[in-house]
Amino acid sequence: MITSPRWTLEQLKNELRSRSEVKGWIVTQENLHRRERYLLLDQGKLSVDQDREVNSQSVEVRLFVHTGKTGRQGEISKKFVSEKPLNEQIESSIAAAKETDYEAWDLPSDLPKDPPEVKSCDPFMAEDLAGALESATQEVSKAVALPRKTDFNSSELFMSIHDREVHLSNGLTQRSKQSRMYVEAAYSYSKSGRSDEYLHTAWTISPADISIEHLFQEASDRAEISLQTKKPNTGKYSVILDADVLAKLFNSTTFLLSARNEYLDLPHKNPGDDFIPGATGDLLTLTLDPSLDFGAVTVSVADQGIVQKPLVLVDKNIVVTTAIDAQHGKYLKKKPGTYRGNVVLEAGAMDHAQMIQSAPKVLEILQFSGLFIQETTGTFSSEIRLARLHDHATGTVSIIKGGSLSGSISDNFKFARFSKNRVKRSEFDYGVATGYFGPEYALLTDVSVVG
Amino acid sequence: MFGEAETTARFSNLSRVFQMNPTDKKRAPLSADIKALQPKLRDVLGTLEANPEWYASVYFERKSNQTFAANLKQTQLSDSTSSGVVMRIYDGHTLYEQATDQTELAALLKEAKELVARVKRAAGESTGTPMRPYQAVNWKERLKENEVPLDPELLAQIPADVRAETPVHFGIAFEEDPTTRTTENRLTGLKALVGRVQALAPACGFAEKDLTYLMAREGLGVEESLFIDRESNLSQTLYRVSLTLILMSGAERSANRFGGLGGTEAITVSDEKITEMLKDLHAMKNADRLKPGKYTLLLGPALAGVLAHEAFGHSQEADTCARGRSKAWELHNEGARVGNDLATILNSPAVYRNATEKSAAWGSYFFDEEGWLAREQIILDAGTLMPPMTNLTSALRLGIPRSSNGKRESWQNGVYTRQTNTYFSAGDKTYDELLGMIDYGFVGLNAAGGMEDPKGMGIQVGVQYLKEVKNGKFTGRVVKGPAGGDIQLTGYVPDVLNSIIAKSKIEAHSEAADTATHPFNDCGGCGKYHKEIVYAGCGGPYMLLKDQILG
Repeated sequence: MITSPRWTLEQLKNELRSRSEVKGWIVTQENLHRRERYLLLDQGKLSVDQDREVNSQSVEVRLFVHTGKTGRQGEISKKFVSEKPLNEQIESSIAAAKETDYEAWDLPSDLPKDPPEVKSCDPFMAEDLAGALESATQEVSKAVALPRKTDFNSSELFMSIHDREVHLSNGLTQRSKQSRMYVEAAYSYSKSGRSDEYLHTAWTISPADISIEHLFQEASDRAEISLQTKKPNTGKYSVILDADVLAKLFNSTTFLLSARNEYLDLPHKNPGDDFIPGATGDLLTLTLDPSLDFGAVTVSVADQGIVQKPLVLVDKNIVVTTAIDAQHGKYLKKKPGTYRGNVVLEAGAMDHAQMIQSAPKVLEILQFSGLFIQETTGTFSSEIRLARLHDHATGTVSIIKGGSLSGSISDNFKFARFSKNRVKRSEFDYGVATGYFGPEYALLTDVSVVG
Repeated sequence: MFGEAETTARFSNLSRVFQMNPTDKKRAPLSADIKALQPKLRDVLGTLEANPEWYASVYFERKSNQTFAANLKQTQLSDSTSSGVVMRIYDGHTLYEQATDQTELAALLKEAKELVARVKRAAGESTGTPMRPYQAVNWKERLKENEVPLDPELLAQIPADVRAETPVHFGIAFEEDPTTRTTENRLTGLKALVGRVQALAPACGFAEKDLTYLMAREGLGVEESLFIDRESNLSQTLYRVSLTLILMSGAERSANRFGGLGGTEAITVSDEKITEMLKDLHAMKNADRLKPGKYTLLLGPALAGVLAHEAFGHSQEADTCARGRSKAWELHNEGARVGNDLATILNSPAVYRNATEKSAAWGSYFFDEEGWLAREQIILDAGTLMPPMTNLTSALRLGIPRSSNGKRESWQNGVYTRQTNTYFSAGDKTYDELLGMIDYGFVGLNAAGGMEDPKGMGIQVGVQYLKEVKNGKFTGRVVKGPAGGDIQLTGYVPDVLNSIIAKSKIEAHSEAADTATHPFNDCGGCGKYHKEIVYAGCGGPYMLLKDQILG
């Protein structure tokens, strides 16, 4: 019989403390409150297709146990459920964890002193989520009401508050709160029996960081040019990528800059390596920054009880250090430090107009269909959903759709130039948080395109 | 409409496959605590039905997932459970949901009352839009004769005298119970599998130090759900088993996931398969780069499936159509041709035997998350678009029949129209016959993602690497993308579907008649654009296409 919660976090910790086999734990409790609205046009009127509210609480325990083997330990990550008796769950977790086998490590014995204050939650959303959703709905309503040449198709608005408590066996208790907002707008354009659309999406931590009006306007503007398209000619191009793409690419490449990869013999970079071999363009400086205001990965103290501060991983294309957590620091005999954060890139010197003028033909990607990145090789490829081809020989700007682009960070970023303007991006696609603050655009050369 | 001859042929095959009486099988039961929850949810339903014009339902889901893994340095284990109740009211305009992980009756009734109050507060906001009322469908309607009959595997589990209040449980069939193996047994098996890879490596050209990372991971999901409305009281239990093998040499990677719905029998991996993966990895280390261009291409079942899924899978999702975001709806209404006679795509959650495997396909179930029973559907019939797949609200908005495609990422997420198993119909050639039809071209077997473009009708299908073929024979040359990464097949969907030259039988490596009913469906995940991931199968036969744009 499923009943109400039978145990508290204090009871859980007390039980864990009493078990001799238990070596340590990280308990994470998250309370989620989410509101969602799905909007579309019904006979010309903006209508709510779905209106949802979600409330939940989850408790995840990362449990470390003695296995009796020298220099080894066992471990399990388990979600504890409120409807099952606590002891039953602890017993089964200990028994299962004892069957696993890890090199031994310990949580830090020093508790963080004066952890930094970070901004990770919008106060209005935290106070009144329903009111915040209503306010965002009004903004959508105004944007939809604007007269345009295009047709509004649909929008989705999701807003949530994630309230977290982390309890470690070393005595640390850390509380944090994050707000998340997702907005999308789809517009289409029809002419002479043909039609196409543009879908614009954005995640943010603070509603103040995005403009719904601008997002809807840009979706409409891009839908409007979507019927003037042609396929690209096959060849090599100078290509401008925007911050949405750069955020994905550089969050993926941090895969190569982790102590975990080094320990597991997965592809990785070492301090002193060139991040991009032979780079001569704007040399990359990449910082893992957990302190960025309203970043998707803004944290004060990470789950293993280590204070997180901005850490330069790559300085002018030279790898300085890697992201080292307590576990892999112990294995590799390296000092642990920052291993969570938003990817922050230094600005370059060019502006967008200069980039467009930088070569006889410049392909400016407005949107990829599905950008697939191989983290291990740094290669990436996608169909081109929408792009502008600036042809200075003919003085024309054509709109491109179709064909695909293939690149690699090590080859195509060798001569890369970055814009001087920097922007923030957040993403929670498929539940994985990634944050970015860096150049709004990058200019690459010799990128392979097939039409 | 189905072609008469095709319908008859397909279902005579079906009866051949299910020679064993479906009632005799071992099936996944419903947990006792969830069984005890059913009457409480009926009480909650009473509260939700506060207005006779509303349609109310209650959905409960519990997903327990265990993952066991072994690599060269560790053995690992994770165990997660998520459960919650979704209370729903549809007022003829909007679908309102209140989702909670509370399961005590008092807490549920409190949330149900709050939901009722929210719906009442919103009354009037829909003024000026048409009312599309809905009433729960009774068992007589559910079981009435249809041009596509319910699968015998599903029918066998419905009591003969079924009524609104009758608890009807559907359990996935299995041979070897996947829930009873110990952690020790699983981890020992995974370590042994890593050892088998190491033992087979030298014969495939690898020294011990060349294999830098090996990982074997076993997944077990127990997915239980309840659906209750005025006319039905359904439950189902699915066992989702998988085995993932990742082999790496430096930055090159060969990965495969085996599995399905059923018992442990679904995750056996042969030495032959491991050898094939090792050989692929070796080939990738020495691969050339593809010169972008147009080529003849033979797609394996997994890639044929991605093509089906992205081509007229996503664009045949009725919620996308209802939002005015799919060209397929217009083309269906016009009766336009969008592919040749070989372009037939089906979607079915009722693939209870995946090709010749012993398990059900990855995207299968007995009813969807809105309580609609699983049934096969042709969504593209020899180049002509049929009505799209639906969830409740999109079927009402478009005025078309419902199908069993209302799915959500979890009880915390909203329902969309989603694909289940999407696949091309089988052809009549053998694999060798198809290979022999290639003068110059490539064979692609391993998928690397894909992306839909329902309004613009573009398509993107990612391929890990290609094997070169000349005069019907493999040359031994392997190519990767122009920049050394994945290769992308792109194009205009009708062009791609008009370029299908031939398709294989389901059992493509045999000249004998097919014994299986459904083509093979690979294990996959599907996002709605860039979020809301759900399990999905996709597949088909081997398919030969001419003039494909690869880069």
